[in-house]
Amino acid sequence: MADILHLAINEAESLGASDVEVYLVAAKESEVFIENNDLKQAKSQAASSIGIRVLLNGSLGFYSTNNLDPDRIRQAAAKAVKMARVSPKDRFSVIPGKSKVQLLRGIYDRKAKSFEPADAAKMAKEMLDAARSTDSRVSVDSGNFSSVLATHRLANSNGLDLKERVSIFSWSIMGMALDGADVSSFDFQSAGTHSVKDIDAASTAKEFAQTVINSLGAQKIDSFKGEMVLTPSAFVELVEDVLVNSINSDAVQKKSSQFAGKLGKKVASELLNLEDDATNTQGLGAASFDREGVAHRRNVVIKDGVLKKFLYNSYTAKKDGVRSTGNAGGSASSPPNVSTTNFIVGPGRPSLQAMISEMRHGILVSRFSGNVNPVNGDFSGVVKGGRLINNGEIGPPVKEVMIAGNVFDCLKNITGLSRERKILHTSVLPYTRIDGVSFTAG
Amino acid sequence: MKSDAGIMDRLQSLLSNGKYVEARYQSRLVTEVNFVNGRLERIKTVENAGCGIRVLVDGCWGFSSTSDIAAEGLRDSLEQALSVARVLAESKKEKVKGLAQSKMATGTFSAKVRGNLADIDIEDKVRVTKEAEAATRKHSSIIKTASATYREILDHKILVNSDGAAVELYDSKPEFNIVAIAKKGGKNITANEGIGITGGWQDLFKKSHLELAQTAADKAEKLLEAKHPAGERTTLILDPGMVGLLCHEAIGHTVEADFVLSGSVVKDKMGQQVASSLVTLVDSGRSDIADNAAGTIAVDDEGVEAGRTVVIKEGVLTSYLHNRESAFIFGTASTGNARAFAYSDEPLIRMRNTYIEPRSDSLDEMVKETRHGYLVKGARNGQADANGEFMFGAQETYLIEKGEIKGILRGASISGNAFDVLKSVDMVGNKFEYDIGTGYCGKYQPAKVDGGGPHIRCTAIVGGMQ
Repeated sequence: MADILHLAINEAESLGASDVEVYLVAAKESEVFIENNDLKQAKSQAASSIGIRVLLNGSLGFYSTNNLDPDRIRQAAAKAVKMARVSPKDRFSVIPGKSKVQLLRGIYDRKAKSFEPADAAKMAKEMLDAARSTDSRVSVDSGNFSSVLATHRLANSNGLDLKERVSIFSWSIMGMALDGADVSSFDFQSAGTHSVKDIDAASTAKEFAQTVINSLGAQKIDSFKGEMVLTPSAFVELVEDVLVNSINSDAVQKKSSQFAGKLGKKVASELLNLEDDATNTQGLGAASFDREGVAHRRNVVIKDGVLKKFLYNSYTAKKDGVRSTGNAGGSASSPPNVSTTNFIVGPGRPSLQAMISEMRHGILVSRFSGNVNPVNGDFSGVVKGGRLINNGEIGPPVKEVMIAGNVFDCLKNITGLSRERKILHTSVLPYTRIDGVSFTAG
Repeated sequence: MKSDAGIMDRLQSLLSNGKYVEARYQSRLVTEVNFVNGRLERIKTVENAGCGIRVLVDGCWGFSSTSDIAAEGLRDSLEQALSVARVLAESKKEKVKGLAQSKMATGTFSAKVRGNLADIDIEDKVRVTKEAEAATRKHSSIIKTASATYREILDHKILVNSDGAAVELYDSKPEFNIVAIAKKGGKNITANEGIGITGGWQDLFKKSHLELAQTAADKAEKLLEAKHPAGERTTLILDPGMVGLLCHEAIGHTVEADFVLSGSVVKDKMGQQVASSLVTLVDSGRSDIADNAAGTIAVDDEGVEAGRTVVIKEGVLTSYLHNRESAFIFGTASTGNARAFAYSDEPLIRMRNTYIEPRSDSLDEMVKETRHGYLVKGARNGQADANGEFMFGAQETYLIEKGEIKGILRGASISGNAFDVLKSVDMVGNKFEYDIGTGYCGKYQPAKVDGGGPHIRCTAIVGGMQ
């Protein structure tokens, strides 16, 4: 394998490239799908892909192939150089130098190697059974269990040569509860881990089942203004994309981020602390280095409500005259973009229970279904799996409640974050309480 | 793509164990060039080749894919597919009962192209994209942002199965898209113009890249000052793109047999009147009536020839869209709708080119016979539910009063129930076009599809601002 990367680098350099970067991903994957309360299909896949990025007088060429035959790699390198010869020059184009990378522990489980499709099927079955046995009214619409074992290699003409293995097990379950003519809200739950021993699809299934059962018998309510508590899933659906776009330097440079020009300013309640941290191995986005080989680090993005930094790859960093934050992302079949890694919101002091007990009138929002504009933050949609909260007590489920507003306003109106946090793939999130929300009866 | 030699033989050698085995080699080359505001935003070529193997064991499907296409790699992958199918068979309740008998395709099929894309230098692809983007901005000072994208997908497939399919397929699907954003005062508007086809370089640029740029820029300029139409339920004349979107998004998905089985709105409607008798709706693997439809495929990914399927004949529902598994359940033949996007995807029931057949009315007559209504042009995004309720965006609308077009208005959303809309059709035009070829249909995996028709006159809700 080592030879292939350097073969590509040498070939491109000999044809005139000034800088060359080669990224190789080799992955083995098994996945089992659930549909209509039954296992549906099983899939297994072995795939490798190599992406060759070259610069020639500041012009970019990029060629990707999944054929790792040495002749084909040489041809691919030659085509990337040819492409660079006809591309316009961009003075910010850059392939980074050597950086010191400390390899993370805890993102690769040796046992992943012997994890077979049969094991994935067993896990999917357990998840399905756990949901169905919680209550016979639970109906599972779809779900999956997947295991991925990937090897990442990155080398460039500046002497960088990195390798890392990652194992990821992830699962999801979606459906509703049916009781006669009463159909609950849909619920979706997902989780994942890097290690075999932490796989716990049954708990995810039980939480899903409990949520849909609890939302049976939903009642219409009158419109009111009050507080909402977003579950981590609802936070992902309503808030996360807006923040992810706003802190992305590429969006800032293209003037499509509301945070442009707000470094050092207050953009949220002082309760909010946001980090992007690929070195947190709980998140499934954990890795030692980014898509360009820059060492990952913990980036504090919002501290006590104040915007501290944007996320950069080498290209956008050069444009702004700053250093890359290690946020080059993307697969081997594209040149690097700017991406978040693990999106981490700091925990608050109170427990979820305590946070709810302080509320006079509000709604616990399990999920949000609607439209969110990632640029200007406007949202409107329907509360799913909502529970009424009155005088500190969780009350009956509610239906047909609409919420509309602006995510940036919501950030300023955060009145509580829970001590408990959940890991949802690449997000680590507490429950979030937000004031000043108008709930409109449908 | 020269390393494909001997693959047909290696795939054939996987077929010898008394079960249904399907092996599909696919080599794909995607090239993309994108300029935004004078800057090269994206350039890349991606080459992906590998084999997807699907087996049916004890009534369960197993699927495995690999990029290792040497004999040993293929054997290992077959073993994986067999083993996952067996694992599933242990706990799956609902089993596959059988596959419909189908005539299996053999031979070589190549998309008709004028100007082989592989022979066009990357330099030309960069040049046209750069020129078109620059021309869009140069058109008018109110155009503040422009983007031009060239994209091509070249496929070589070899497909065999244990029921006798043995085909080699060559496909070529390029597309070219321009976006123009005009701004003045507090107003802004986004207009686009694009083309997506099955064909070659000359087919793609029947209208030159600069003409396409001109059209996009013109549209943005005209629409910037235009007012929004009032919201109302009224008479609408839909252009071929809107008709295509309606056929695909709002009708087509409801007649996909897998959706029918999970309870779509047409599940008990076979043989019944579901549309005006003026409506004949077809989904076809061929580029019927007009050339270069983007969803054209010669053979589907189960080895069945992808012919013409009449879904609605003169208003009566006549067929669902099937793969071999659903056709067996319904006691009919596969319609050749099993499609997989990449080698690593398994085939699913997907549409191809979905359209309404032309009849005799000219657009002029349709306008002349409309007392009050709108001409709706330029399909945008769309959403539709399983019950046929839809909401589509249109780029431009034109007010019609007393048989005359009164002027351009901004885009609007069009909504209604697709079957009610088809029942309301009272005029069907005579000029046919495909016009949604730049889009991709998403159903677990993407698929290149097309749709179109003539202009049709119907009743639906035009929704004001969008």
